[in-house]
Amino acid sequence: MRRMSVFPQHGTALGNLGRTANEIRQEAENSKNVLVSDLVNLSAGARFQAIRSLPMPFNERKTVRNRVNSVKLSKTILTADCRQQVSRSFRRFCASLASARQHLIIWQDTLKEIGSRFGTSVLSYFLFLKWLLQFNLFSLIINFCFITIPQIVHAPNISSTTGFRGLELLTGVGYFNQTVLFYGGYNGEVIVSKPAYNMQLAYFFTIAAYLVLCWVSLIYSMSRSFQKNFVLETGPVSGGAWRLLCSWDFSVVNEKAIQYNKNNLAIQLKESLSERLQEKNKMSLSDRIKHLSLHLLAWLLSLGLALGSCAGIYFLGTDPDLAFSFNHNPNDLRAEASTLLLPVVVSLINLIVPLLYSLISKIESYSNPRAKIYISIIRNVVLKMSVLGILCFYWLNFVPDNISCWETFVGQSVYRLLMIDFIFCLLGIFFGEFLRNVIGTMCIQSLGVPEFDIARNVLDLIYAQTLAWIGIYFSPLLPVMQVLKLFIIFYLKKISLSMNCQPPKHTGRAAQIQTVFIALLFFPSFVGVLSMVAYTVWSLKPSDQCGPFQGLDTPFQTIFHWTDSIQNFPESNWVWWIFENILRSELFYYLISLIVLVITYFLWQITQGRKQLIKTLREQIVNEGKDKAFLLNKLQNLQKERREIASYRPQDFDQTPHFNPNWTNTLPLNM
Amino acid sequence: MGNKQTIFTDEQLDAYQDCTFFTRKEILRLHGRYHELAPHLVPMDYTNDPDVKVPLALIVNMPELKENPFRNRIVESFSEDGQGNLSFNDFVDMFSVLSEMAPRELKAIYAFKIYDFNVDNYICKEDLEKTLNKLTKEELTPEEVNLVCEKAIEEADLDGDSKLSFADFENMISRAPDFLSTFHIRI
Repeated sequence: MRRMSVFPQHGTALGNLGRTANEIRQEAENSKNVLVSDLVNLSAGARFQAIRSLPMPFNERKTVRNRVNSVKLSKTILTADCRQQVSRSFRRFCASLASARQHLIIWQDTLKEIGSRFGTSVLSYFLFLKWLLQFNLFSLIINFCFITIPQIVHAPNISSTTGFRGLELLTGVGYFNQTVLFYGGYNGEVIVSKPAYNMQLAYFFTIAAYLVLCWVSLIYSMSRSFQKNFVLETGPVSGGAWRLLCSWDFSVVNEKAIQYNKNNLAIQLKESLSERLQEKNKMSLSDRIKHLSLHLLAWLLSLGLALGSCAGIYFLGTDPDLAFSFNHNPNDLRAEASTLLLPVVVSLINLIVPLLYSLISKIESYSNPRAKIYISIIRNVVLKMSVLGILCFYWLNFVPDNISCWETFVGQSVYRLLMIDFIFCLLGIFFGEFLRNVIGTMCIQSLGVPEFDIARNVLDLIYAQTLAWIGIYFSPLLPVMQVLKLFIIFYLKKISLSMNCQPPKHTGRAAQIQTVFIALLFFPSFVGVLSMVAYTVWSLKPSDQCGPFQGLDTPFQTIFHWTDSIQNFPESNWVWWIFENILRSELFYYLISLIVLVITYFLWQITQGRKQLIKTLREQIVNEGKDKAFLLNKLQNLQKERREIASYRPQDFDQTPHFNPNWTNTLPLNM
Repeated sequence: MGNKQTIFTDEQLDAYQDCTFFTRKEILRLHGRYHELAPHLVPMDYTNDPDVKVPLALIVNMPELKENPFRNRIVESFSEDGQGNLSFNDFVDMFSVLSEMAPRELKAIYAFKIYDFNVDNYICKEDLEKTLNKLTKEELTPEEVNLVCEKAIEEADLDGDSKLSFADFENMISRAPDFLSTFHIRI
C-alpha cells in the first residue's frame, strides 16, 4: 500500500510554486481519496492495521476510518443498519477476546517493572524464561490429561515397597519408583471403556504430538525473530550515529537507571572517539602470528577441558562400584545418596569450566567485543552439549543392557540432574551474586557491583530446558518440576537483580543475540533431544517388566500394530494407505528433499539479486545528492553573476526571462 | 462487560479501538490516567467530545515521562499546536505510537519528529548536538560533542547535504533492529 508521507519530498517547495491555495487543498483531497480507495481494497485485518499505522493525528485517522466504513457499507446488499451491527459486534467480540487473553498473560506488571528499571536487554532474559515456561506448562497439561489421568483412574498399581523418606525428593527413587512420575508407572493395556483407550498409542502419540508442536513453534519463532532482527551489514552499523539516535532506551523510567545509562553512553562515545582518533596500525606479521597462536591455544584448552569433563563423567557413570548398587538394596540410604554423586559432578563442571573459559579468554585479544561474546557463547554451548551428549550416550548404550526397567532409571537420573542443577542455581544466586555484591562493595572496592551476565544465565536456562525435554519420554510428569523451578527462579532472579546486580554495560545488538539464543534452543538443544528420543523409540528394546511398551521389540511397533488393526476397517483404509505407501517409502523423502533444495537455491538467488539492487540504489542516492549539490552551486553562481552585472548596467537587467508589466514602454513610439 | 461505563459512547470506543493499538479496557484506563493529571480540568464524561487540553507542565510529570531526557520533545511532537498541550486524543495517540504494537515505520516517523528540535524536517548538526547534550549532560567536552555529531552525520547522510532527511533516518533505523523495543514506553 502506498505510504502516506508526513514529510515534504525533495523539492515540494519548488513544486508548489505557482499553485494557489485551492489547488494545494484539491491535491490533498485527491491523495486522501486515493488512500481511502486503497484501504477499502484490503482485507479486514490488514485494513485496520493500516488505519492504525497512518501517521496522522487521531481526528484525521478517525475521518479516514469513517469514510472507509461508509464506502464498504455502500458496497453491500444488506441494509446498512444490519450489516453495520454485524460487523461492529464481530469486531467487539475480537477485541474482547484480545483483552481476555491479556488476563492470561502472567507477570505483566512485574515485567513492566523490570523493563523500566533495567532496560530491554535484561528484560529479554525474563521474557525468554516466560516463553520456556509456556512450553513446559503445555507439556504438563497434555501429559497429565492424556496419559496420567487414564493411568491413575483405571489401573492404579502403586506398590510402594518403601515408605516415604525425605531423600526421595532429591533422588527420585524409592517411593517414587512405581508412581506415575516415571515411565515404569505406566502400563500399556487397552483400557476397556466405551471407546477403547489404548494406553500404548496414547503414550506414543501424546509425546510425539508435543515434540512436533515444539518443533513448529521453535521454527516459527526463529524465523520471525530472524526476519525482524536481521541486519544488512552494509555500511557502518555500530557507529556514533546509531548510538546517538537509536540506542537510547525509552522504557527505562527509574532515575538511577537513567543516570547509569547516560554514563554508559558517554563512556562508549568517548571510547569510539578515541578509537577513531588513534590510527589503527596495521599489525606486523609477527604480531598477527602471535595473536593467531594465542587463539589456537585458547581453543585447544577449551576443547580439551570439555573432552576431559566428558571422559570424567563417562567413567564415573560406568564405575561398577558407584553406579548400580542402589538397585539391589532399596533401604541402603548411603548407596542412594551416592547416586547423587554424578549430578553433583555434572553441575560442578557446568559451574567451574565456564569460569575457566572466561579466564582463558583474557589471554586472547579480540578485534571487537561482539566477537568476544559470540566466541564465549560457542565455547559454553560446546561444553554443555557435549556433557549432555555423553550422558545420553551413557543412558542409551550402557544402561539398557545392565538394568531392568532402564527407562525409569534414566527418568530418575534426569530428575536428579534437574534437582541438583536447581540447587546449584540457588547457591549460585546466593554466592555468585549476593556475596559477590557484598565483597565488591564493602571489602574490595575495586571489584564493584557484579554485572548481570545475560549470556551465561540464558545458556543455563537452555541447558535446563534440554534436560527437561530429554526427560519427557522417560518421565511424563517431569514438566511439573521444571515449571516450579522456572517460577522460583523468576522471582529469585528478580529480587537478586534489584538487590545485587547492575545491568550490563554493553547493551548493543540485544535483538541479534536474542535471535542467536532462540536458534541455539532449536539447533543443538531441541534437535539433539529429538534425535535421542527418535533413536530410543525406533531402535531400542523397551524393558520387559515395566512400562507401556512391554513385550514389543521397539516402541515404534505400536504404530505397526495399530495400522494393521485399522487395515480391516474400510473407513480408515486411507490412513493405512498413507502410512504404508507414503510415509514408509524412501522415494517420498528423496522427492521432498529435492524439492526443498531447489526452492532454497531459488530463494537464495533472489536474495543475491536483491542485495545487488540495494547496492545500486544506494549509489544512485549518492549520485543524486551530488547532482543536487552541483545544480544548486550552478544556480548560485548564475545568480551571483546576474547581480554583479546588474550592479554595473541596470538597463540590461531586463534580459531575465520574467514578465515585464511595463512592456508597453518597450514598443516603438510610432506604433 | 463494557456497558456499565459512562465515560465514552460505544461508537467512540469503537473508533478508539479501530484507530489506535489499544483495547477498550486500556482506553478506559488511559482516560483514568489522563484525568489524574488534571482532575479539575478533565471531565469524567467524554460523550460529547469536550475540547480540553492538559498543559505540557502537567503531562511531563507523569511517572512514565518524568525522567525521560526527551519528555518535552515527545509531548510537543504529539500536540496539535506544537506547544505540548495534549487533548485526550493526542494523549492516546502518543502512547499508542510508543506501545509495543506500533510498527517500525510509524515509530520512525515520530522518532524523527522528536529529534528534530527546530522542526524544519531535517535533523541538522544543531539538533544532534542538542540530543547529545540531553543524553550525556556534561561528561563530554564541546570538542568531543562536535566530533561525535560530525561523525554521526558523516555516517548516516546518504545524499551528502550534511543533514539527515527522513529517508536517511529511516535507513539508519532499518539497520537497528533494537529500535522497535527501545522506542517503547509502557503505560
